Amino acid sequence: MASKDEIHEGKKKRLLKGEIPPGLTEPKKHKLDLLNKPDVQIPGSEEEEALQSNPLADLQSFQASCDFLKSAIKEIKELKKKNTDSSAEITSIRTDATIHFIHMKKLNRLAHFRCRKVRDITNEAKYKIDQCHLQLQNLLYEAMHLEKEITKCMEFKSKDEEIELVPLEEFYKSAPDSVSKPDVTRKDVHQQMLSRLEWELEQRKQLAIKLSETKSEKEKIAQEIQSKQDYLDTLQPKLAAILQATRPVQDYLDMPYDSIMEEHQKAQHLPVPLYVLYMQTSAYKEACDKSLKVSIVGDVDAAKSLITFTFEPDEESDSDQEEQEKADSKRRKKSTEVRNLETKNRILKKHPLSVVLDITSKDGADLQLTFCYLLALNIITVSVKVTQDPSITTTSISGGDLLSPDLILDEIYPNDHGNDSPNVANHYELKKHGLQELTSYIPVIGHPYLWCQWMGGLQFLNRDLDKEDSAGRTDRDEENNLAVSRIAAVRAKHSISAANMQKTISLLRERMKARICLLQMLLSLERGIIPLSADSMKMFPAKINAQLTSWKRSTFSDIQVLPHAERFIKAGVIRESDLIFTAVMERGSARMTAYVVLTADCPRVPPLFVVDIMWQALRTALTDIHIMEMEEEVNLHFKELLRGKSHDHLLANQLQRLLMCFDVYLETDTPASSLVPVEIPKEKMMPRICRGPARSKPYKYVPELGIFTHRC
Amino acid sequence: MLPKDSREALQYMLHTIVFDTSFSPCGRYLAAANKFGDVALFSLTAALAPDVRDEAKYPVFTFNVYKNGGVYSLTSTDTLLICAGEGDIQAYKWSDIISKNARVAWSLAIPKKGVFSHPEVNSCVVYEDNDSLTGHTDYIHSVALKDEGKGLISAAEDGTARIWDLRAKEAVHVVKPFEHEMCTRPHMGKWLQCLAMDEENYWLLLGGGPTLAAWHLKTLTPAVTFDTPGVAQNVTMFYEDKIFSAGSSNVLNHWSITGEHKMGVPVSPVSVYSIGINSASKSNKVMVVAGSCEKLDVCTNFGYRAFSLTFLPPLA
Repeated sequence: MASKDEIHEGKKKRLLKGEIPPGLTEPKKHKLDLLNKPDVQIPGSEEEEALQSNPLADLQSFQASCDFLKSAIKEIKELKKKNTDSSAEITSIRTDATIHFIHMKKLNRLAHFRCRKVRDITNEAKYKIDQCHLQLQNLLYEAMHLEKEITKCMEFKSKDEEIELVPLEEFYKSAPDSVSKPDVTRKDVHQQMLSRLEWELEQRKQLAIKLSETKSEKEKIAQEIQSKQDYLDTLQPKLAAILQATRPVQDYLDMPYDSIMEEHQKAQHLPVPLYVLYMQTSAYKEACDKSLKVSIVGDVDAAKSLITFTFEPDEESDSDQEEQEKADSKRRKKSTEVRNLETKNRILKKHPLSVVLDITSKDGADLQLTFCYLLALNIITVSVKVTQDPSITTTSISGGDLLSPDLILDEIYPNDHGNDSPNVANHYELKKHGLQELTSYIPVIGHPYLWCQWMGGLQFLNRDLDKEDSAGRTDRDEENNLAVSRIAAVRAKHSISAANMQKTISLLRERMKARICLLQMLLSLERGIIPLSADSMKMFPAKINAQLTSWKRSTFSDIQVLPHAERFIKAGVIRESDLIFTAVMERGSARMTAYVVLTADCPRVPPLFVVDIMWQALRTALTDIHIMEMEEEVNLHFKELLRGKSHDHLLANQLQRLLMCFDVYLETDTPASSLVPVEIPKEKMMPRICRGPARSKPYKYVPELGIFTHRC
Repeated sequence: MLPKDSREALQYMLHTIVFDTSFSPCGRYLAAANKFGDVALFSLTAALAPDVRDEAKYPVFTFNVYKNGGVYSLTSTDTLLICAGEGDIQAYKWSDIISKNARVAWSLAIPKKGVFSHPEVNSCVVYEDNDSLTGHTDYIHSVALKDEGKGLISAAEDGTARIWDLRAKEAVHVVKPFEHEMCTRPHMGKWLQCLAMDEENYWLLLGGGPTLAAWHLKTLTPAVTFDTPGVAQNVTMFYEDKIFSAGSSNVLNHWSITGEHKMGVPVSPVSVYSIGINSASKSNKVMVVAGSCEKLDVCTNFGYRAFSLTFLPPLA
């Protein structure tokens, strides 16, 4: 310390000296002073000195030395200028300056030392920091690891947690104190758990024993049941024998309980929709219409085996059948065609049982409907057989197909042609298996009419609601029923079947009757006679000059090309499915051709007439408004031609009226001028020939007065 | 009563004849009458709207005037629609019809003469006196007032047109086109169906069995004929400097007064019974052509058919 103070003092001295310009006064003293500095003499300890000395002080002393040097140089210069002999003085100054210079050098060295030292210290500190950082990282990692371990431990689940234990209170209640040890366990949760587990084990052991006991008891009872069942089974043939024995008695007494029972037993094996159909038809038969005949035909055994599997539309279905087929086809290689055929057969497979409904009408004709159920498509199809009373000849040329199985049931309900499936899902089903539309398989499977589905209690979403609503004949109530059931899923329902049964049966009967009636009418028309009933004879004048000369079958394409039929086709009242006939009527040189359009539901839907007249020129509704009015007479005012509610004679009456109107047309067509020769004279009584702006003709006949008037 | 696409409704539409049309005094509605005694009201404003929907082409309201027989003539006054045809003349208030509540405002019975005479009304004009004029030997198709009600012209089935003096109550002149060589068409017939006069009462148009011709009223000679071979003209009218006529073919003829056939516009009905031009409303100024079909053709520009209105039976 003392030395330090000394250094300080020395420094101060130096500083003082520095401040005072190194005058010429005491240069020696200064030099001495410098030489006296203790540290100067000890070289080698300069490094220490560098550490100990204050850098700022060093800087000041350096500057002082600099100043001294500067002043020394100036002094020397001045002395030299004076040219006085001052070499001694100069020498002393030079010595001083040299000492100062050396001092400066030393200071420089010291600065270098100090710099190096500082650098070392910095490096050392840096190294230390790095060490600390590394340590910190390690510690953090360790902490994290420990935390993980802790959470693992926390999450550890003991096996006993999975075991359902009796609730705590119950445990204390039921377990004996030896197990529960309430004094210990109440406080120690772990002990409590252990004892609870112990109790649980004990109890479970007991229950297991009980279970095995019960099982053996059950087996015993089952054996007993089996033995009783065996006994009952032996009774069956005995009972059958007894029944067999009573059969002659039943037959004798005309009580066919047995056959009914057999039928009912068969019914057990029907698919649900056919069962509904069978049941509802039988019920209807019992209640309302004894002349119906309902029966079940088909292979009951096949049906029995069929019941064992539930049908799925996928490949693995049809176990029985497929196995059979496999056996058949294993030997030959399955070509794609064969496979296609198989898929087709599988999709279109009918249930082995079918329901046969015989509708017999009074005039001896018999309509036999065979209802089949397509398993995969979930629809009912019907095939028809018509048998007629052989005593009535109804072989008409123009209407030969009226009783054909394909056409007779067309449009029992409006727009129901039975050509495509009512179950829209079928479309996709068939497509999936690469089959054509159902329409192309109709000859094989029969027609899936809508009413067949209804009879079987199946209700599918309707394709177009509007048409359904426009069906004039559908009852309001029933429509509501349908609307409600539309929402419901497609499952056979008795309510649907029951709602439609009566109407469908009566429609079928009506259709049958209408067709036979129509057939007879056509037969007569082909011979040129309009078959009027005595009742309707009164509606017409006794003498009609025009005559029906020909009655032929025609086709839709024939009528399609007629310009005057276009508006009817456009309006949709003539459709491709309609039956079209051509009637030719003649009087003198005038010839009228009437295209008669019958819908499948004729004569409920009245026949429609499209007329043209060839007389001097071709006249149609497009060129002559009177022909349009003639068409109106038969097409629109047909209601006047109905006798009572019966539509049966409508066609004949319409034809007769057309014939009469033709007469009126010809007789009133005479031009006013007498220059033109008159071919057809006016014979009928007509108070007025023309009326109204259209100059309408008096087409209306008043039978009471025997005159023709206008419709007004 | 009938759904729109039921068979009955379709048959009704296929066999209808629209005999006359009349515009409401406001020019926004059109009434059309048909042979089944029904009158249908169409909204012209709706049908002519730029964003027209299909419903606008159907009647807003249809009501029955005569149970058995047609309405042949519709005449519109400031407040009334007068319907005439097979029965008593019946007047309805336009305001009632537009509010869809048609009530008979008054009716006028036609006196009967004899057992078999059920007279019908084919044409109507409104006139303030109470007279009857006799002279025609067959029924009358069309009447028109002339000289501001001092005179009347009638065209009849008997082939004559009579020009009446209403003060003297007698026929001053009888015109017989079927006897005039310029017009006669013996193979067609002699009846006169349509008549029309220009505003100055200078020209008289007469047509029917004989060729449509413009008769000079002062000299009573046909000056110009408008020949339509084989086609009887049922309606004719003067409009500005043109003459429109149509009849038993699906063509609406435009003529100049000099007899030049300017245009033949194809229309829907094969027999036209009514041509109407709505002059009451500028925005709804259209021509309506109606006849033997359920469609009433509307021409905004008279040279072609813009669209058709459809006469529906009274629906439920």
